[in-house]
Amino acid sequence: MTTYEYATDETREIAPRVVPVSKGRIIVNWITSTDHKTIGYMYLIASFMFFCIGGVMALLIRAELFEPGMQLLQTKEQYNQLFTMHGTIMLLMFATPLFAGFANVIMPLQIGAPDVAFPRLNALAFWLFLFGSTIAVAGYITPQGAASFGWFAYAPLSNTTFSPGVGGDLWVFGLALSGFGTILGAVNFITTIICLRAPGMTMWRMPIFTWNTLITGILVLMAFPPLAAALFALGADRRFGAHIFDPEAGGPILWQHLFWFFGHPEVYIIALPFFGIVSEIFPVFSRKPIFGYKGLVFATIAIAALSVAVWAHHMYVTGSVLLPFFGFMTMLIAVPTGVKFFNWIGTMWRGSITFETPMLWSIGFMATFLFGGLTGIILSAPPLDFHVSDTYFVVAHFHYVVFGTVVFAMFAGFYFWWPKWTGKMLNERFGKIHFWLLFIGFHGTFLIQHWLGVMGMPRRYADYMPEDGFTAMNQFSTVFAFVLGMSMIPFFWNVWITHRHGKKVEVDDPWGFGASLEWATSCPPPRHNFHSIPRIRSERPALDLHHPELGARSTPTTTVAKVFGPADQKDK
Amino acid sequence: MSSLDRTSSSRGGRAKVLAIAGAGALLLTGCSEQVQRGWLPNAERDITNHTGSIQDLWVNSWIVVLLVGLLTWGLIIWCIVAYRRRKNDTGYPRQLSYNLPIEIFYTAVPLMLILTFFAFSDSTERAINTPVDSELVVDVRAKQWAWDFNYSYQGQEKYFAGTQAHLTGEEGVEETLPTLYLPVGKSVTFELNSRDVIHSFWVPAFLQKLDMIPGKTNHIYLTPQVEGTYQGKCAELCGEYHSEMLFNVEVVSEQEFLAHLDTLNDGHIGEEYDRKPGEVARNEIHGEGE
Amino acid sequence: MKIESWLFLGGIFFFLPVALVYGYMTNWDEWVGMPALFMVTGLSAMIGFYLYYTARRVGPRPEDRLDGEIHENAGVVGAFSPWSWWPIVLATAAAIGFLGLAVGFWVLYIGAGLAVIAVIGWTYEYSRGDHAH
Repeated sequence: MTTYEYATDETREIAPRVVPVSKGRIIVNWITSTDHKTIGYMYLIASFMFFCIGGVMALLIRAELFEPGMQLLQTKEQYNQLFTMHGTIMLLMFATPLFAGFANVIMPLQIGAPDVAFPRLNALAFWLFLFGSTIAVAGYITPQGAASFGWFAYAPLSNTTFSPGVGGDLWVFGLALSGFGTILGAVNFITTIICLRAPGMTMWRMPIFTWNTLITGILVLMAFPPLAAALFALGADRRFGAHIFDPEAGGPILWQHLFWFFGHPEVYIIALPFFGIVSEIFPVFSRKPIFGYKGLVFATIAIAALSVAVWAHHMYVTGSVLLPFFGFMTMLIAVPTGVKFFNWIGTMWRGSITFETPMLWSIGFMATFLFGGLTGIILSAPPLDFHVSDTYFVVAHFHYVVFGTVVFAMFAGFYFWWPKWTGKMLNERFGKIHFWLLFIGFHGTFLIQHWLGVMGMPRRYADYMPEDGFTAMNQFSTVFAFVLGMSMIPFFWNVWITHRHGKKVEVDDPWGFGASLEWATSCPPPRHNFHSIPRIRSERPALDLHHPELGARSTPTTTVAKVFGPADQKDK
Repeated sequence: MSSLDRTSSSRGGRAKVLAIAGAGALLLTGCSEQVQRGWLPNAERDITNHTGSIQDLWVNSWIVVLLVGLLTWGLIIWCIVAYRRRKNDTGYPRQLSYNLPIEIFYTAVPLMLILTFFAFSDSTERAINTPVDSELVVDVRAKQWAWDFNYSYQGQEKYFAGTQAHLTGEEGVEETLPTLYLPVGKSVTFELNSRDVIHSFWVPAFLQKLDMIPGKTNHIYLTPQVEGTYQGKCAELCGEYHSEMLFNVEVVSEQEFLAHLDTLNDGHIGEEYDRKPGEVARNEIHGEGE
Repeated sequence: MKIESWLFLGGIFFFLPVALVYGYMTNWDEWVGMPALFMVTGLSAMIGFYLYYTARRVGPRPEDRLDGEIHENAGVVGAFSPWSWWPIVLATAAAIGFLGLAVGFWVLYIGAGLAVIAVIGWTYEYSRGDHAH
């Protein structure tokens, strides 16, 4: 029989406000907030807005590519600005801050902490991200426009000889500022997880999402400082007359090594937290624990470690890197990723599965990411990459893995945790319409791009010839891209009607089978997260609290199972 | 779930993969030629001396990859169908949370597949990148936004300076593109150089590309084996007109090749025409025509 | 805290061999990735050893023990600021500074000045007024 433990004697009720809160007061409360939940919501809202902005850019790109010839944009320079900023926004202003947003809102709740370790630093990190990103995007309002040298800013195209506009400088320094925000955020998450867990919440009882947040934070510490260094060096070349990336001294390859040493871990930084989100959702809707808990953790650590050692697979066609080493290490990453995949399937296996929207999104993620991972294996082989590098095949690959992971798991997380954040559940019917429209739109847009790339269409081409034979495939892709864009409408509608007419959730756990600690507090949680925390004796403390009938489990005693088996269970 | 009997998957990994690839290849013979080469743009298998091995690696890898994919998608669909909660289900399923033999199995098997794949990939890559002493050396100079071709053949030094294409959205531009001529059956060494920013030399039908990086010379060694006209494109973002940096490749008989060389100017337009912004600023200013 | 320290220390056992193999295979000639891999080893080691020695000093905490009871961490867990203006002020100062690096150095000096004010305000925020210690 689980008993409640009271952290303090104060279970006082706070008297309700009589005077209504003015709009100004609300704004001040948000911008001076040091509450991880509020800061997390700000991250989620800001990154979602950047997602929409980047999405509009994508629609412009696809519209321009509908037919040979330039119909929409005035110059090809504008086209180059579009794909540069689309990539920059999606990776660095949408996906990475989205990780910070989810980590902020959910992780302290999952470990039973009252807040993060450094609340004011948390707020600082958010504002650095917002202001840095705004500076970078502000290039669009300068006369020569935003940066147009591609989101990886290869030297010497990115120096002042070949890209003289101030948009390039704003890009460099805006991203540097934003990058510091990410680093500070990671420091905060790691410290919180190490220092602020509730009693009984051992490392091997933490939810998988929290583990992934920890490992992602470590990856950020390894990857973002090289980016900051590279950006400052490029800034020095552009603004201070330095010659760091001059071709005579091997500058172009130097830039690529520095950038990709950051760039590859970055894509795992944006993938791992979202793997964590779906790892929370599968157990709840399969009504079984996550399968192979410790194997999942070790696989995630393996993915993170390997991701630091594979950066030059983005440089196979430079003729300047050690192909066998990077080919082998890249292929190796498929193994722990496969382990994770089969563990998710194992969670569903012999479960009792229902298909509410979070589960629908998580299954959609699996179906999509699988194909992206498979094309990744093809790309990992240098002789195959020689043909398809820098073509639409690569564009298709990374949209499958990144969109498949980040966007699908983002919506899975939104639908799953919306009641926890707002006290109301999103509408299921509109959620399903949203899912299917997006699923169809996404696959229609990107599946055909694999063929486009293999048949010879390079990426970052503003235009193509009728003789190329690419027209029909491009038109197909463009039409579905607009379907994908329109799929956001049911989501916005859903958010609006839930806000206006949604029924309040009265229980801690509206899904019924929530496992981790956030489902043991109210919807939404109080200011410092918990009025009382239940005893923690497994990786599913809220489940143990709400379903004591599921019985005692204990940690297996054989040595191998102790090391590789499930999470630490009850021992008393 | 009972653990599967197979625990040792290290033996026979390679043979298994070859068998699967063989079965898949057999299946493919029923499909069109385009499908058979995995939609690669080499209309014939041996356009160059490397395209055959690249095509084989591509097709076989895809077969194995798709089988793995079908298996996994199959498992997902199985779970969705077989384990869905029925209308009058109550209670909870058995709370299985680990199964070591299975987990070891699905760690070891992918590892074996990867090791096999690496072996094939590495041997193919080595064959492609082995330097070859060639009769014909073409020094390709990429520039914003066109191509210069310098031919060095049997003592002759000839050059061709290309100009940028202008895409109009209509047909007809393709025949105006700068054209690289190559003699069929002769080994050629490409020396790839850039005059300004990074470009990339790509002939889709040859299934190979390599970047052209200022300050560095890259090499491709191949022998074109089939006469024909092929497209060439720049494959690394190089500025505003990246998409107009196109060229044609004409693989012709040696006679025709020599005839073409006769139409070109003597000489070599090499690095003296490269843009070196830093150096120009440092050197003295020259007047026009000096 | 032991497990956390092993998480970081374990990095040494991966990154160091990888760095050595990579260095050997590139003839100790690739001076970007090779030093970077060694430095990542150093980063893991630094954090790992710090956590290891802290774990030894502090011993198992209630959150490290399988039988930890919630009431064991009753009382003050840390200093959690209720709200603060200084983060957005410091971020604004930093933004102005970085903007100055991009557009004009005179702007940088304004940002630097604001940043000094913000850092001092932040540091001494809880040493005075309502929340003074």
